[in-house]
Amino acid sequence: MMQKRPPLILIIDDEESIRDGCRQSLEKSGYSVLDAAEGGEGIQIAREAKPDIALIDLKMPGISGMEIIEILSRDLPDLVLIMITGYATIVSAVEAIQKGTYDYLPKPFSPDQLRTVVRRAIEHRSLKIETRCLREEKERMEKSFITFVSHEMRSPLVVIRQYIEALKAIAGDRFDKEAEEIMERCRCRVQGLETMIEHWLDISKLGEGAFVGKKRLDLLQTIRRSSEEMAPLCKANGLVLETDLPEKLPEILGDAESLLRVFTNIIGNATKYTPENGRISISAKSDDYHVTVRISDTGAGIPADKLPFIFEPFYRVRGKEERQRGSGLGLTFCKRIMELHGGEINASSVEGQGSTFLLKFPTQT
Amino acid sequence: MTAKKKILLIDDDKDFLMATKLILEKGGYEVFLAEDGKTGVEMWKSVAPDLAMIDMMMETWGEGFAVLSKIRATDMGKDTPLFLLSAVDLQGPYNSFEPPPEFPKVNAVLQKPVKAEDLLRRIAQELDGKKMS
Repeated sequence: MMQKRPPLILIIDDEESIRDGCRQSLEKSGYSVLDAAEGGEGIQIAREAKPDIALIDLKMPGISGMEIIEILSRDLPDLVLIMITGYATIVSAVEAIQKGTYDYLPKPFSPDQLRTVVRRAIEHRSLKIETRCLREEKERMEKSFITFVSHEMRSPLVVIRQYIEALKAIAGDRFDKEAEEIMERCRCRVQGLETMIEHWLDISKLGEGAFVGKKRLDLLQTIRRSSEEMAPLCKANGLVLETDLPEKLPEILGDAESLLRVFTNIIGNATKYTPENGRISISAKSDDYHVTVRISDTGAGIPADKLPFIFEPFYRVRGKEERQRGSGLGLTFCKRIMELHGGEINASSVEGQGSTFLLKFPTQT
Repeated sequence: MTAKKKILLIDDDKDFLMATKLILEKGGYEVFLAEDGKTGVEMWKSVAPDLAMIDMMMETWGEGFAVLSKIRATDMGKDTPLFLLSAVDLQGPYNSFEPPPEFPKVNAVLQKPVKAEDLLRRIAQELDGKKMS
């Protein structure tokens, strides 16, 4: 919203002639002006009156201009600060700007110079406020969008699957093989869409910073849990899942649940692309700085030209060997989680021979 | 011949009610539907069902819990099996729900969608061995 009142400008300067001169030329241009002869008073006025712009003399008895700048830029983030200085050195200008000053006026200055600097500062202020409003708006929309997606988009899918269940319950015995297969395919595709939404939500939530706290953890336990969890799926697909783990691994800082999902995701991928009688191997090793987990398979592999894109959202390597379509977000999720752990994930592959994922974590010393 | 056992379903999604009703009727139950928590509690009192299923997330997060507490607090609600329904992935690390220790007893938390045979099996488990009405 645009303000209707004229911009309010506060002048903090110990020299009366400067205060009066500034007041006259600014009021002539239609601004409202407040002034203070020293820092303490100036800060108090600023807090109460919330001016748009403050002109602050750098060199004053009592609280220095630099201190005032520091306090005001912290307390009133929307206030645009301009310093007035009689000894405009590069060093003091840089310091003032680092502390949050927008511009500076070297003494002596003309009314025109003053008005130009003030006009620019007012433009800067409205841009600053606009930017903040837009950012807040964007954050709010993102949040409500996530809620929208999670409830409004998932509910219909859940209901569709419930209807499929109902249909099977009331008429399942009258279905022939073909009709049954069609139902099953429908169910699979709807479920796939649900998974995609779920993965997408996971990633969005990570972006929001909703990441479960990191604790010291032993990756061996997480790896074992993931292999136990995935063993039935591997068995069902006729694959051998083997682990080759050391007795001990250095602790890392992490979130066990998220990492469990990273491992199961990668193992899950391997099961999709590895033909029957294939092998999925998980091993781990460590040095002084890192723990590296290696997950490899004897599957179709990833073509070299597609390898660079596999962590991109919605990218899928399509292949004949693929048993089931993925969400296209699984590896994106893995990469984000690894980044949040200060780690890395890399893939290498030889087409026709298999793929290897290396997950590298910094150790906790 | 014994009368059909009565099941009360409380969920704000009409279609979910409809689909689940079909399954439950196929299982031989008499089904009562309530589209919001308030109606649900009222029907609980008038119908006196043998089992009730309540959606966790209706109008507001937590409405399901409030309904469950109200039902448990009634005289006949003390021992009747109550199921909570959830569309949230309870396996996920971000959404896990654990009822507080003082929370009234929930006989089962079922994740939506519920497989027909699972649903009927869980209900039979709860209702088996109870006095026939």
